[in-house]
Amino acid sequence: MGKSRFLMVALAIIMLLALSGVVAAQDDVTIRLAGWSSSEAEDNALRAAVDQFMEANPGINVEIIFSPDHPTTMQTAFASGDYPEVFYIDSSKLPDWVAAGVVAEAGDNIVDQDDIYPSLQEVFTIDGTFYCPPKDFSTMTLQYNIDMFDAAGVDYPTADWTWDDLRTAAEALTGTNDAGDPVLGLVTPAELPRWLPFLYQAGGAIFDADGNVTMDSPEAQEAIDFYAGLVNDGFAGAPSAVDSGWGGEAFGNGRVAMAMEGNWVINALNEQWPDINWGVAPLPQGPAGQATMAFTVCYGVAADNAHPDESWALVNFLTGPEGALMVAETSFGVMPARASAADAWIERFGEDMSAFVEGADYAHPWVLPVGFQDFIDAFNDSLQQAFTGQLLPEDVLTTSADVANEILAR
Amino acid sequence: MAEMTSATSVQRPVTTMQSKKRSEMLAGYGFVAPAALIFLVFLVIPILFSAYISLTNWNGITPLTSEQPYEYVGFDNYAQLLFREGTRQTDFFKSLKNTVYYVLGVVPTQTILALLLAVVVNQRWLKAKGFFRTAFYFPSITSSVVISLIFMWMFTRGGLVNRAVGALFPDYAFINWLDDPTGVVHSILGLFGVNLRNAGDWATAQFAGMRVWEWISGPSVTMLTIMILNTWTTIGTMMVIYLAALQNIPTHVYEAAYVDGANAWQTFRKITVPLLRPTTFFVVTLGLIGTFQVFDQIFVISSGGPAKTTLTIAYLVYSNGFKNSAMGLAAATAILLFIIIFAFSILQRRIVSERADV
Repeated sequence: MGKSRFLMVALAIIMLLALSGVVAAQDDVTIRLAGWSSSEAEDNALRAAVDQFMEANPGINVEIIFSPDHPTTMQTAFASGDYPEVFYIDSSKLPDWVAAGVVAEAGDNIVDQDDIYPSLQEVFTIDGTFYCPPKDFSTMTLQYNIDMFDAAGVDYPTADWTWDDLRTAAEALTGTNDAGDPVLGLVTPAELPRWLPFLYQAGGAIFDADGNVTMDSPEAQEAIDFYAGLVNDGFAGAPSAVDSGWGGEAFGNGRVAMAMEGNWVINALNEQWPDINWGVAPLPQGPAGQATMAFTVCYGVAADNAHPDESWALVNFLTGPEGALMVAETSFGVMPARASAADAWIERFGEDMSAFVEGADYAHPWVLPVGFQDFIDAFNDSLQQAFTGQLLPEDVLTTSADVANEILAR
Repeated sequence: MAEMTSATSVQRPVTTMQSKKRSEMLAGYGFVAPAALIFLVFLVIPILFSAYISLTNWNGITPLTSEQPYEYVGFDNYAQLLFREGTRQTDFFKSLKNTVYYVLGVVPTQTILALLLAVVVNQRWLKAKGFFRTAFYFPSITSSVVISLIFMWMFTRGGLVNRAVGALFPDYAFINWLDDPTGVVHSILGLFGVNLRNAGDWATAQFAGMRVWEWISGPSVTMLTIMILNTWTTIGTMMVIYLAALQNIPTHVYEAAYVDGANAWQTFRKITVPLLRPTTFFVVTLGLIGTFQVFDQIFVISSGGPAKTTLTIAYLVYSNGFKNSAMGLAAATAILLFIIIFAFSILQRRIVSERADV
């Protein structure tokens, strides 16, 4: 009796499983989209876009997975072999992930690829292969505190500002506030991507055309002397020197007159420091002209993927000409990656912010070869020590060049 | 438990000696099985797996299901960390140096303070004992991330700590606690006018990727802040352990000491401390293991900076594995950390048991 009852239950379970298998086979294709949550409003915008996509494409289900530490989450998912079909890729992570063979090549899957800014296409191109269309992007510009400039009687920054102009203005704006706390002209985080525009403005580069490290060039020397010199002369400093965690906070609290942040600063200032009266200008010109950095994220498609066509359809929907317009309309600062949607973004944020968009024309990508985290660390650490005077500016270059060569020799 | 089973078997005299033993054994394994399974799946297998991975060049990303996710490189990762000159060697010894300073600073301080607090809240004359015990224990049960954030606000350049000291001493120049790579020993030597340039040749001699001068730096100001934080948060746990042990010391021992005319200090020194030796061993071991593995506070407050002076071994494991995409190297670092902790625990056990024999 007991045995037959067990058999019946087992049979029922097996039938149920089989049935659900049949249902699943007839059911929609499910695409997992993994990324990080930026803000509730932006998440809702993405959800709305994905809903539109599902409506337009019956039979495709999209499941959005947000995780707070996306690269780490993805790394463990990759390692397990079962990973989402579509996922955000930060430009700095792309070389590692491509080397690991988990990112599919874009091939001819991209709709109207020429419309995407060439500088951004370059970011996601490795050894001549284009991997993934950018989701949106940010460029670094110079933000200035209008009230502080007025009070000090300094002219606002313009597009033809040179390094000397920046230095002179920073010197004039340095002082103390009403509470007696120090105020600096410019906030200069001791971070490689903040210094790189100066390297490019000086006409230098990390590598030459043959891939040799050129961190010890005279141009690099000029750039590091200028950047560390601002700090050593007391006109600039790291955020912590003015009680802040990052440049935007220092700027928002009125402890620095100028900051060099990307588009993320727009929403932060509007939300957290709405009273501050600020403007935007391009970064100053160096001896070799204009340069800035572009920070961007793309939608990558999994290399090991049962539904590549559906995945690309989703990516194209989100990054195509219409998707780019959607980014412009719902964005909280970041810009659409397509030139055709630039006007929509400027219309939304105002002509004053156009310096961010113009940066796309002369921006350099924030991307380094595999294994270069050691190089970034070495640079940041020695720059930090150059700020406090424990090292000379040239030590920063020799130290980081040594590390770069060591990595290349590995 | 043994008593219980034997009690039940008395009621059933039919069972032979052997089958009784066997059923006891089965029951024993049955009770242990869930814990053993968890131990096996979440500890033993991962440890063995990471020991294996430490012999490969796996990047931590390539799916393990793919054709050839890694190559076997033997002890190359260990050689890079320990012997081959370069960033990886320097980073490892830097993190070792930082961690050792951290352990040497935190473990004795927290043990002594915990003992003192436990003795104080154990006094009969103390009013509102419950309040004090709760207050001292509170930091231990609060999330370390939350406490780290609060400490960051308190210790920023214009934060509570600097303002308070500044109010007491008007000449005080604000210290940038969270972003100051200067070593404490270097600062003290600096007071006597000793610096790298005039210290002599020994200071510039290289040893394992760093100058001797760097080795003797002491914890940086930022590391010191994190040490204060960690001491404060763990005292509570250690205090509770000591408190339990204190209440286990029989009162007649104290009465005897009183009759013999021992004063309070003598009682503490000659009765309390020796009787607490097993507890001290336990507390110090816990402290050693916990401090060698310090990670979360570093992750929240400094990410290893400024100038790598708060880079600890555990943080190096994380950054090698996830920021540098070198999981083989990270696994090797973790195994070395395991060996170090193991060696320290054995050493400390030796020292404590030797002294117990005297």
